[in-house]
Amino acid sequence: MKKILLLLSLFVIVVTSAKAETTAVADTGKVGTTADPKDPPLIFSGSVDTYYKYDFSGHANIPTSFASDQNSVSIGMIDLGLKKKVGKAAFVGELAFGPRGQYQSTPNGDGTTANGTNSFHIQNLYVSYDVTDKLNFTAGYMATFIGYEVISPTGNFNYSTSYLFTSGPFQNAGFKATYAFSDKVSLMAGIFNDNWNVYTAQHDVSTFGAQLFLAPAKGWTAYLNVASGPTSGTIFDLTTAYQITDAFKLGLNAADYSTAHGGLGYQGVALYPQLAVSKTVTFGVRGEYFKVKQGDNITGLTLTSNIKAGALTIIPEVRLDNSNVDTFGFTKGDGTPTKQAGQFVIAAVYAF
Amino acid sequence: MKKILLLVAGLAISGMVSAQKSLLSVDENNKYIYYQVVDLPGRTADSLHNNVVLFMKEFYPKEKSLQITSSGASVKDKFLTYTSLVKHENGEMAYALNIECKDGKYRYWITNFVFTPYEKNRYGMFVPVNGVTIPLEKASDKLAKKDVEGYFEQTEAFCKQLGDKLKKYMVEGKTQPKVDKPVKKIVTEKW
Repeated sequence: MKKILLLLSLFVIVVTSAKAETTAVADTGKVGTTADPKDPPLIFSGSVDTYYKYDFSGHANIPTSFASDQNSVSIGMIDLGLKKKVGKAAFVGELAFGPRGQYQSTPNGDGTTANGTNSFHIQNLYVSYDVTDKLNFTAGYMATFIGYEVISPTGNFNYSTSYLFTSGPFQNAGFKATYAFSDKVSLMAGIFNDNWNVYTAQHDVSTFGAQLFLAPAKGWTAYLNVASGPTSGTIFDLTTAYQITDAFKLGLNAADYSTAHGGLGYQGVALYPQLAVSKTVTFGVRGEYFKVKQGDNITGLTLTSNIKAGALTIIPEVRLDNSNVDTFGFTKGDGTPTKQAGQFVIAAVYAF
Repeated sequence: MKKILLLVAGLAISGMVSAQKSLLSVDENNKYIYYQVVDLPGRTADSLHNNVVLFMKEFYPKEKSLQITSSGASVKDKFLTYTSLVKHENGEMAYALNIECKDGKYRYWITNFVFTPYEKNRYGMFVPVNGVTIPLEKASDKLAKKDVEGYFEQTEAFCKQLGDKLKKYMVEGKTQPKVDKPVKKIVTEKW
C-alpha cells in the first residue's frame, strides 16, 4: 500500500512539474535547439504492457525472457522513467514494477542475504556530464550496451525475446566515457562491475567494455561491442540495423560469449527483417540460430506484427523453435521430450 | 442548454484549430511555408541587415549552415516536438529560415519542414529513429492523423514565436547590455 501511495505521489508531482515546465518551454518553442539552448524540462515517460500466451504443448516450453505465463492474461511491467538536464549535467532514473521489470530482468537487492527479496526496481540510474560537445562521462547502473533487444517492450519489435538477449547481459553498472568523432563515428570505453546485472560488485570493478558506433550510410547504424572481465567472461557483439527503404528495415545481431573459466559460452546470430505495409501495421520476422559451446543448438522463427493505434501497440506473434536434440528441455503435452516448441502470444503495449 | 454550450465550445475549438492551421501556406513547389512581410517605415536596408546579422548570431551561434548575404541571411536548424499527454520529446522538426531586407521592410520565410520521429532507447533517452525522415507534406500519408495535427500545431506555434523574436530584434536593434542595478544599502544602526 505504501508503495502504491509513494508511486501515486511521485506520479502527481512529476506530471504537475513536467506540465508546468513544458508550458514554459512551449513559450519559446525552441528548447534544445541551437536557436535557444535552454535547459529542457523534467521529462517523465514510461510504458505498461500486458499479454496472453498459449504454448501449443499445453504448458510453457520456450525458456527465453518474458511472456512466461501459459494460458494466462498476465502483466509485464509498468515502467516509469525520469530525466533532467541542467547545463551539461543530466540524470536518468527508471523504475519498473511487475515481473518483467523486477525478478525477470533485475536482481533482488544488493547481493546480501538481508536484501535477498528486496527489489530495488531500478532499470536505469545514472548521471552524466558533457565535458565538451564531443566528450561525455556517464556513471551509474545502466542498461547494457550489448545486444539488439532490450528489456522495455517499447524498444523491441517482437514481444518474446531471443536466446541471445536472454543469455547476454541486461545491465552493466560502471563508468564510461563516450567520444563522438562525428555524427557517423563514436567510441565508448568504460570500466564496469565484475559481474553483469548486479547493483553491487562481488569483488571489484574489473569488466572492461567498449563500443564503436558507425553510421556507414543514411539509415544504417552499426555497433561493435566488447565486454571482458576475469569474472564475467568475454562477449563480442555486433548489433546493426539498416532502414533500407521507407517500408523495409533489416536488423542483425551476432554474438560470441566465452565464460571466464571452463571454456563454455555460446554463439548466435539473429536476423530481423521488418516490412511496414501501412502507416499502422508492420510485419516482422526474427530468425535466430543459437549454439551452446560444446553443446546443443537451436533455431527460432518468430513472426510478429505491430499494429499501432496512437500510443497503443498490439503485438500478435507466432513462434516456432527447433532444437537439434530432444534433450534441450522442450516437452510434449504428455511430458515426453521433443525437439520442437511453439507458442502464440498477443500483447498490448502502451507508451506514454 | 448544455447541448448549446457544448456546441458553442466545439465550434470555438474547431475555429481556433483552423485559424492556427492557416498560419502555414503552400509555396510554388507545394511545400509548406510560413511567409511574412513586415513593414518598418523609415528604416534603411542597411540598418535592418545589421539587425538580421545580430539576430542570427545571437540565436544560431554554433549553426554551421548560417549564411549571411548582402541582402539578408539564411540558416537551417530544428526544434523539438512533444507529446500531448505526458510531455516528452517525440520528434524533431528540421526547417530552413530565410530573411531578406529592403528599405522600409523585411521579409522572412520558414520552410523545408522535415520531421524525424523519436524513440526511447535502452538508456531511457529519446533519440531519433534511425533512417526515418518525413517531409511535413507527406506526414499525413505516414503518420496517424492526431499526431500530424499535433506536429502542425507545434510547427505553427514555433514559427510565430520565432517571427515575434525576430521582429523584436528588427524593431529595437542592438540590445543594450544589462547594467546591474546597485544593491540598495540599508543602515541598521539608525532607525
